[in-house]
Amino acid sequence: MSLFKARDWWSAALGEGEEFDQGCLCVGDVDNSGSGHDKVVVGSYMGMLRIFAPHANKSSEGVPVEAQLLEVQLQNAIIQVEIGKFVSCSELLHLAVLHPRKLSVYSVSGTAGNVEHGDQYQLKLVYEHSLQRTACSMTYGTFGGVTGHHSLCIQSMDGMLMFFEQDSYSFGRFLPGFLLPGPLVYNHRTDSFLTVSSARQLESYKYETLAVATDAENRQDPDLPLKTGGKRLTPDWTFVLGEQALDLCVPTFSHSCASIFVLGERNLYCFRDNGQIRFMKKLEFNPSCFLPYTTVMDGTTNLLLCNHTNMLLVYQDVTLKWAAQLSCVPVAVRVANFPELKGVVVTLSSDGHLLCSYMGTDPSFFSTPKVDAREADYEQVDTEMKKLQKFIREATRTQDILPKTDAEEDLIITAAVSSSMDSPSQALIPDLDGLPVPSVTVQLTVKASCVMQSSKLTVGVQPPLAVTQDQFVLEPMGFGASVVVEFSAFLNGRYPPADLTGDVTVSYSSPTGVPRVHQSRFSLPLALICVPSSPNKNTRFKISVDTNQPPVDLASVFPEFTADSEDKDGNGLAFQFLSGGKVSVQASKTSQRYRLQSDSFEDIWLVVKELIRRFDDHFHKLGVKDFKKSFSGPVPLQDYFLSVDHHFQLRVSAQQYQDLLSERAVQFRAIQRRLLTRFKDKTPAPLQNLDTLLDATYSQVIALAEAAEENRVQLEEAFVRLRSATHLLVLLLSLWQGLNPEQTAILEATLLPLLQDTPQLGWEESCDAAVSHLLRTCLSRSQKDQATSLAQTGSPVLGLPQDTSRLKKHITLMCERIGKGGRLSLAAEANVQVPAQVQNLAAPGGVEPISESAGDQEELALPQEAAKFIKKKQASKKVKKDKEKKEVSPEASVKEEGAEEVKKEKKESSKEKKESKKESSKEEGKKESRKESSSSSSKEKKESSKEKKDKDKEASKEAGGDKKVSRKSSVKVKEKKKEPEAGDG
Amino acid sequence: MEVTMDPMFLAWSYFRRRKLQQCSDICTKILQENPYDQAAWSLKTRALTEMVYIDEIEVDQEGIAEMMLDESSIAQVARPGTSLRLPGTSQGGGPTQAVRPMTQSGRPITGFVRPSTQSGRPGTMEQAIKTPRTASTARPVTSASGRHIRLGTASMLTNPEGPFINLSRLNLAKYSQKPNLSRTLFEYIFHHENDVKNALDLAAQATEHAQFKDWWWKVQLGKCYYRLGLYREAEKQFRSALNHQEVVDTYLYLAKVYQRLDQPITALNLFKQGLDHFPGEVTLLTGIARIHEEMNNISSATEYYKDVLKQDNTHVEAIACIGSNHFYTDQPEIALRFYRRLLQMGVYNCQLYNNLGLCCFYAQQYDMTLSSFERALTLVANDEEQADVWYNIGHVAVGIGDLTLAYQCFKLALAFNNDHAEAYNNLAVLELRKGRIEQAKAFLQTAESLAPHMYEPHFNLSILSEKIGDLQSSYTAAQKSEDSFPEHVDTQQLLRQLRQHFSVL
Repeated sequence: MSLFKARDWWSAALGEGEEFDQGCLCVGDVDNSGSGHDKVVVGSYMGMLRIFAPHANKSSEGVPVEAQLLEVQLQNAIIQVEIGKFVSCSELLHLAVLHPRKLSVYSVSGTAGNVEHGDQYQLKLVYEHSLQRTACSMTYGTFGGVTGHHSLCIQSMDGMLMFFEQDSYSFGRFLPGFLLPGPLVYNHRTDSFLTVSSARQLESYKYETLAVATDAENRQDPDLPLKTGGKRLTPDWTFVLGEQALDLCVPTFSHSCASIFVLGERNLYCFRDNGQIRFMKKLEFNPSCFLPYTTVMDGTTNLLLCNHTNMLLVYQDVTLKWAAQLSCVPVAVRVANFPELKGVVVTLSSDGHLLCSYMGTDPSFFSTPKVDAREADYEQVDTEMKKLQKFIREATRTQDILPKTDAEEDLIITAAVSSSMDSPSQALIPDLDGLPVPSVTVQLTVKASCVMQSSKLTVGVQPPLAVTQDQFVLEPMGFGASVVVEFSAFLNGRYPPADLTGDVTVSYSSPTGVPRVHQSRFSLPLALICVPSSPNKNTRFKISVDTNQPPVDLASVFPEFTADSEDKDGNGLAFQFLSGGKVSVQASKTSQRYRLQSDSFEDIWLVVKELIRRFDDHFHKLGVKDFKKSFSGPVPLQDYFLSVDHHFQLRVSAQQYQDLLSERAVQFRAIQRRLLTRFKDKTPAPLQNLDTLLDATYSQVIALAEAAEENRVQLEEAFVRLRSATHLLVLLLSLWQGLNPEQTAILEATLLPLLQDTPQLGWEESCDAAVSHLLRTCLSRSQKDQATSLAQTGSPVLGLPQDTSRLKKHITLMCERIGKGGRLSLAAEANVQVPAQVQNLAAPGGVEPISESAGDQEELALPQEAAKFIKKKQASKKVKKDKEKKEVSPEASVKEEGAEEVKKEKKESSKEKKESKKESSKEEGKKESRKESSSSSSKEKKESSKEKKDKDKEASKEAGGDKKVSRKSSVKVKEKKKEPEAGDG
Repeated sequence: MEVTMDPMFLAWSYFRRRKLQQCSDICTKILQENPYDQAAWSLKTRALTEMVYIDEIEVDQEGIAEMMLDESSIAQVARPGTSLRLPGTSQGGGPTQAVRPMTQSGRPITGFVRPSTQSGRPGTMEQAIKTPRTASTARPVTSASGRHIRLGTASMLTNPEGPFINLSRLNLAKYSQKPNLSRTLFEYIFHHENDVKNALDLAAQATEHAQFKDWWWKVQLGKCYYRLGLYREAEKQFRSALNHQEVVDTYLYLAKVYQRLDQPITALNLFKQGLDHFPGEVTLLTGIARIHEEMNNISSATEYYKDVLKQDNTHVEAIACIGSNHFYTDQPEIALRFYRRLLQMGVYNCQLYNNLGLCCFYAQQYDMTLSSFERALTLVANDEEQADVWYNIGHVAVGIGDLTLAYQCFKLALAFNNDHAEAYNNLAVLELRKGRIEQAKAFLQTAESLAPHMYEPHFNLSILSEKIGDLQSSYTAAQKSEDSFPEHVDTQQLLRQLRQHFSVL
């Protein structure tokens, strides 16, 4: 990562396929020209030795021949070249070349030629040493403090240091604990050698210590303990780096800061001569080579550092001063002075790219590649755009992220209830009082018109009915696939159910993962729970249903129940429930009347229901359009109240059991506590029959629990019976007054608010609340009542009532009022007329498109329509009231849904409208005066200010759109810093 | 002419030039001839380690298990400003949440993705599962070893015939006696084999052999303990190592332990102590800046990032963070300069162009905006990035009023990343403008469930519910909005209004 690249001054590509490493580059006035200008000496692993004198050459193509002074192919690989005073009695600089098994020292000399480009350079071997061991690196210096000439020290691959004083071999020493060679350098200030050993520590060996240590020739194995003579070689000081070092350098240019630089694999260290750390810097990249080159400020050192991401970095101690991009990863870096330019950075890459460069502000090599910017043909683009937009519009209409609500059914469930009973019955209870319990097979076909995944089918029937399997896991289905599942339904209890319908629920997820649910119903045959029997004349409960059509033969309507009823006239049928009850149906011969009678009130329900359904079917088949059924009344409320009372009684006893149980439990715990203290006591005391008491209480608790459990079962049964009875009552009421389906639904919701009753919330109280609400609202005696009732609500907490008299009274009252022609409707406003304009506003449920324009219009409209303003105000109040109701009771929300229907009705009944219109103004006035004491003008202000606020909010929402639309700019600049090699690039 | 060279020397040279594969190949050959060549063995070990080496300081992936089953928490209810868990309110007067988006844990979004950018414990398991924890994936790491497992398999790949060193047959006691082998072996076991238990064993024996005087072994012990989740033991080792020798790495490791222990103040002090010894050390300065950023103290973080740039003006993280800070403090022009600098330095990726595009847009240099986004789109590496770019283009489209384009952009963002809560939110606003209440509501609810930490969906839902008269849900949504952004004035106004309303009823 750098802004600039290193400016190319001179460069050359050396050889082909040659390899170079750290030691292969060396800079100095090797030919002793005396000008002080440096030459660049490069040796390669292939044995090529080259010397260059680079100079600015604008037209450098290929290998710059002019700058190359010398090129020699030597016999062996060159692993290091150094320039120094290696020849005794000579102040001249010589070139030391290290081969794996040989050290050669050459002198390089140039003779001025006559021709224009023709200085001649020669390489002359001065002396050479063959080495016993494979060399790996060398260092030179004035070992032992001799001045005037340099000695050489060669490190071998197996850790022996060989010292040469000019042309003579002085001694060799093994480094202790050696495994792999590290960098080796000579520190002239302390006359010691520094190396980073395999133990990953920086070690400093005094030259004197080395000199007096055991001779390497005596011990071939460095690991063996020394036997004779000499001192054991120990380092002067060590410092644990914890990492391998790439290079070591002891700069000699300044005496003011005597420091040792170590380039580790991950850190750069600077030490004092005594091995104390001066500073260190953690590197966030893989360095390749470095060179401390000068001191600019006192006490600091500038150094060049190259890394494996092609960067040349200039540091002043730890501060980065400059970063420049290079074209390749250098393995060695030097600073050289050339005739035209001083302080040129010479870098050599592993594949022989020799580069002389300087720092400049050329932008780095990187230039962003061009995006394929085609010449825009606007017409073509326009047509393409149109085409695409058409596609998009099409797509948004058909496939959206959110599934459309009005999408066609993607699943069809058809239930086929088999017409005959299963031949071996599946029922769990084989027979009830001698009557075999049948079961019926239901076959469900699930047909998918889209791909369905992880679908599950659940069957639910009402107790005491049961099915053989109530959950099915379906295989994923494709388009148009269908699956058939079968199960049997049967009676699993000793009382008839309240309802013979069953629910089927399929839950599945669409291919996009949207979970969906589909529901369906099926109804089970009556024959599942009853058998034909002979009619019974004398029963407690009788109900007559009138029709407007001539009587039909019951046998034709109930073919399956006529089989063995050998009735004489064929107009009587009897249904014997498996659980014991019996219902007889008698068709009158003369009148169009059917009489149902039974010993228990609730048993009649299922039969009546079936009867009515079959009659409807029958006459529908016959093509009779205006078939009407009616019930002449009176409504058998007393019969109904019997089952209410029974249910209530059981609830009360359940409550009692509950109380008794908790009492006993408290007692049990108290006895336990006492016993425990007795047992804990250090001095044992007599138990005083507490154990007997505990046993007794325990058995009491158990007995009570059992009784409570029994009671619960009874309660369940009673509730089912109560539901049957209520269904019957609802049916009778609707037949009696000829209620339309909506009203019937309301009535049903009122009387049957719960599917199950719990100890906390039972049928009685919730039904009472619903009924009294109806009484107070749509069935109230006067409009006035109705208005006031809105403000108050029923008792805040529903709980088990003291007795059922209140409920009975209410139900009776409700039946009376319905009988007197009261209409059931949910909207309290049914009778309170609302101006039409307001309705328009309220109809969408207060939903206004939140757009600026709409808001503006409203604002503009305000002052103009001052006359209508009052109406508008009403409107807003109306909406508020609706909301209020929603808060107050759950029923109200149901009401809300019904409101629209009511409104439809309203239009039809113009008469009512007129009436109520008259009243409405009156009422409005009353209400206002009652509710709000403040003057109307202030109210107006309030209203308008509120509206304005709304609008402001809207406006601000528009204006600050981007505020709310969360602004998230940054997908962050991602840099893989985790991996050091990818660190900076 | 062919020149023969000693293979061992060549391998060593290759290693120095980081041609690790060649180095390892040569070593393998040498070892085939002489299986007991310790030098070759050691060099190959080093080469293999170096191939997969990742600086342990930068590796920080907290798995769900560590996060949820953490027993070393100090205080459940920490005082504000002393814990990373409770981001608290902004202390440094940085931009509010309304301007600068927050991450799930309530921290402002930073300008640089680094491991554990989103640190800070999630409160619930659900949140933990949702929180993106790595730079690239939105899914959390299931255990401590998300990355480490990959490295383990890498070791198998390099040696198809089996692992190079059979750890179970290694006599660790013998190797721990040899200082010139043990360190290399340790790094191999720790980094390459990722066998922390054996590494710990070796380190323990080696530090004993060194008479507990070698700081390096203590640091390694600490690293092992840290990996094993024994933070207190790790702390002890690092402390002891610092007593022997002050090294930058040790400071960083110790600070990492403290951050994991949720003691950011201690970590800060430690960094400062480290700076006394190593003035101007970039990694320490960066560490301080990161902690300040995580503690929601943006202005000090920026100060420290500037210090970093004084030491190293090519520091990408610092430039990016300062740039994003300028962007969010309404100085897009200055942010633009920082990002341009990154571009000039050769950072060439989707994110940068994306940011450039946004800066250009807000600095009203419209001509560059679209071309920047174009480039960003050509450079995307994965779907998440693509989604983000499209999201931002959608933003620009909202800004210039082209709502159709905006709509399509947000849709595209969702097509590429259907967890993009912000896009859902904005799409909802657009739907609301079109008057499609149900759609808007559904989108808002989706956004809400995807990113409960964002206040925008809550607030928008609250407004919407209030408009359609559902005051109860409006109130609950407004309360949620207040929870995630207590200073939001509009929410407070709305709440006040609703309360007034309720009291009137």
